[in-house]
Amino acid sequence: MVSSDSDVGNKSNRTGDVETNSETRSSVDRRRFLQAAGAGATVALAGCSGGGGDSGPVTLGATYILSGFASLYGEEAERGIEFAQSEINDNGGIDGRDVEVIVRDTEASADTAIQQIRSLVQEDDVDGLFGLDSSGVAQAVAPQVAQLQMPFMITHAATPFVTSPEGEHEDSVGNEYVFRDSNSLAQDIYGAARTAEELDATEWATIGPDYAFGYETWDYFQAYCDGLGVEAEFTAEQFPALATSDYTPFISSILDADPDAVLTPLWGADLTTFIGQAEDAGWFDQIDHTLFSVGMGTDYPSEGSPLPEGEYASTRYDPFVPDTETNNSFREAYYEEYESLPTYNAEGAYRALHLYKQAIESAGSTEADALVEEFTGMEHSGPVGDYELSETNQATVASVWGTVTYDEEWESNVLDPVDRYDAGPDVLSEALGDSDLPTGI
Amino acid sequence: MSLPSLVPLIGIADVVIGLSLGSRLFLIAVGLSLIFGVLGVLNFAHGGFYMLGAYVTLAVVTSVVDNFWLAAVAGALAVGVVGAVIEFAAIRRLYDRVDADLDQLIVTFGFVLVIHETVRFVWGSGSYSIDPPDVFNFSVSLGGSTFNAYRLVVIGLAVAVLVSLWLFITRTYFGSLVRGTSSDREMASMLGVDVPRLYTGVFFLGSVLAGLGGALSAPLQSTSPALGDQVIIDAFIVVVIGGLGSMSGAFVGAMLIGMMQSLGPQFISAGSIAIPFLAMVIVLLFRPEGLFGGIGE
Repeated sequence: MVSSDSDVGNKSNRTGDVETNSETRSSVDRRRFLQAAGAGATVALAGCSGGGGDSGPVTLGATYILSGFASLYGEEAERGIEFAQSEINDNGGIDGRDVEVIVRDTEASADTAIQQIRSLVQEDDVDGLFGLDSSGVAQAVAPQVAQLQMPFMITHAATPFVTSPEGEHEDSVGNEYVFRDSNSLAQDIYGAARTAEELDATEWATIGPDYAFGYETWDYFQAYCDGLGVEAEFTAEQFPALATSDYTPFISSILDADPDAVLTPLWGADLTTFIGQAEDAGWFDQIDHTLFSVGMGTDYPSEGSPLPEGEYASTRYDPFVPDTETNNSFREAYYEEYESLPTYNAEGAYRALHLYKQAIESAGSTEADALVEEFTGMEHSGPVGDYELSETNQATVASVWGTVTYDEEWESNVLDPVDRYDAGPDVLSEALGDSDLPTGI
Repeated sequence: MSLPSLVPLIGIADVVIGLSLGSRLFLIAVGLSLIFGVLGVLNFAHGGFYMLGAYVTLAVVTSVVDNFWLAAVAGALAVGVVGAVIEFAAIRRLYDRVDADLDQLIVTFGFVLVIHETVRFVWGSGSYSIDPPDVFNFSVSLGGSTFNAYRLVVIGLAVAVLVSLWLFITRTYFGSLVRGTSSDREMASMLGVDVPRLYTGVFFLGSVLAGLGGALSAPLQSTSPALGDQVIIDAFIVVVIGGLGSMSGAFVGAMLIGMMQSLGPQFISAGSIAIPFLAMVIVLLFRPEGLFGGIGE
């Protein structure tokens, strides 16, 4: 995983090249000129592109992980896109215009994601952007989006720092162009702490990926347990690298510490590998409760790793809750089309297209700034329920946690029983207590 | 990174896991070391060979014959053939160049990319896993910890490979040719040894060992195109610690690194991956020839 630090390095290198080529002039003047020219060109491109046009299709750019350890997420998002696209285009399009989506692979790399996003804006003249599966990538992308002055609706990447305004915390990179329609890690892990409150477990451990997402999950969980007064001790933690092929040493280390319960944000093929090796090591016999915070993203599709029944998992969207007409008809139609329940990544991508439709039709324009204005504080309703985009551009969706149960009718694991926790700004702020972690909402 | 656990609890499973990790590292490192010891080629593509062994085994066991052992042999031999072809078609042409080392490095690195992309093209970029063979696929509980019995098989096979290789190199005619050629290639050639054919044979053997490592490891890990890159770094650390060209050094080095990988997480929650690198730095500083530096031991 490429961190945002490396991107800073790359940016410096590019600036360095410019300075080297302008030895005989004032490098500062030259640099300023190039920056101004670049910014001007970007604005001009955005202005004369789809943003200003009102004929032809509306073109959106999407970036997901389509290869490597988490390619399943990208494939699920593509289904959601395809489903929304035909739904919208078969029903009059967006203000009478068809919607087209160009999907690009980030390869789970911040560098690649940034290249793809720049290409989508500067070469494909898209009217808006959405996607992203990785917190590390999202954190690097957010400042780039502001520079490109193009709205970006994040549909999966969960770090709270992309919807925490720059300056609120040292890691905050939120800005007016970045929005998120799915729940954030801060909302999700609030539900984990509420679940922990109900469990007969005192000693807690974690095994998560060795980058921001793994550490943030554990930090927020401890902060919420503290704020909510959950009686918990945090006795072991392991952070193996992404795409580790053998988790057994880490599993063994956690088992040796013998905690009552474990919270794990492992995801993608890493989760599949982990579950298989954990079963071999007797994990689910020894550990009373395992909480999977990204589990249901891979559980419905046949290629995913079915979570062990009786354990706990969260989802950013549940195909059965809320029990509304919108959700039920979406689930039924999606199942008919793809013969599997919609994952949260499919629903998040599906909803992004509908959010753009609502914003474009309300603004009567595809101009980037008009869309940003529409998205800000927007109220929306979708399969996930009714919500609004908060002051920090974060959707006020619920935190959903439940027990993994196999459902004969749908031939799939589902969450049953399932709990929805209101995870709005006030709730999160109070639950975080004295912690300096931002709510991101 | 968190504070290290002050009183790590080391169970029998940790030791067995460490030795099994070491065993698979030995199988790749000993081939790497053998090829370097005899041919003087530092084969960067060796990690790719290991990965290829795992993929071929997976493919054979899932689509050709439902027998893990036959699939593992097929995987090892297929990689041996690939290795021999690469040596015959490309590396052989570089031995007499002035900058042979650099050219070999670049060419073998080129094959890293070729193997990686071929695997991605054929099997995609996702990951695969298979179960250990049924007869060994059960849990062993010892001293309160649990591990899969197949790990003991991998350890046993690694020891068997070490002994067989030692006997092969020290007790057979071909082994004496290998030792002689690694000591003085020109003299061996003047005495009638067919050096090019011998080199291809050694490259084949080293590649078979890498393929066997990948095949035997397939049930213990997830197999993805990233596997080769991960394992080649560990293999280089093993041969640097053990001593380039030394079989016993590769064995001891591999077991040391395996134990570090297994026990490291007990002491440090993140970044335990760095411990083998630290060990390599220490060995390079104080015993640059490696713990068992030498050829053909």
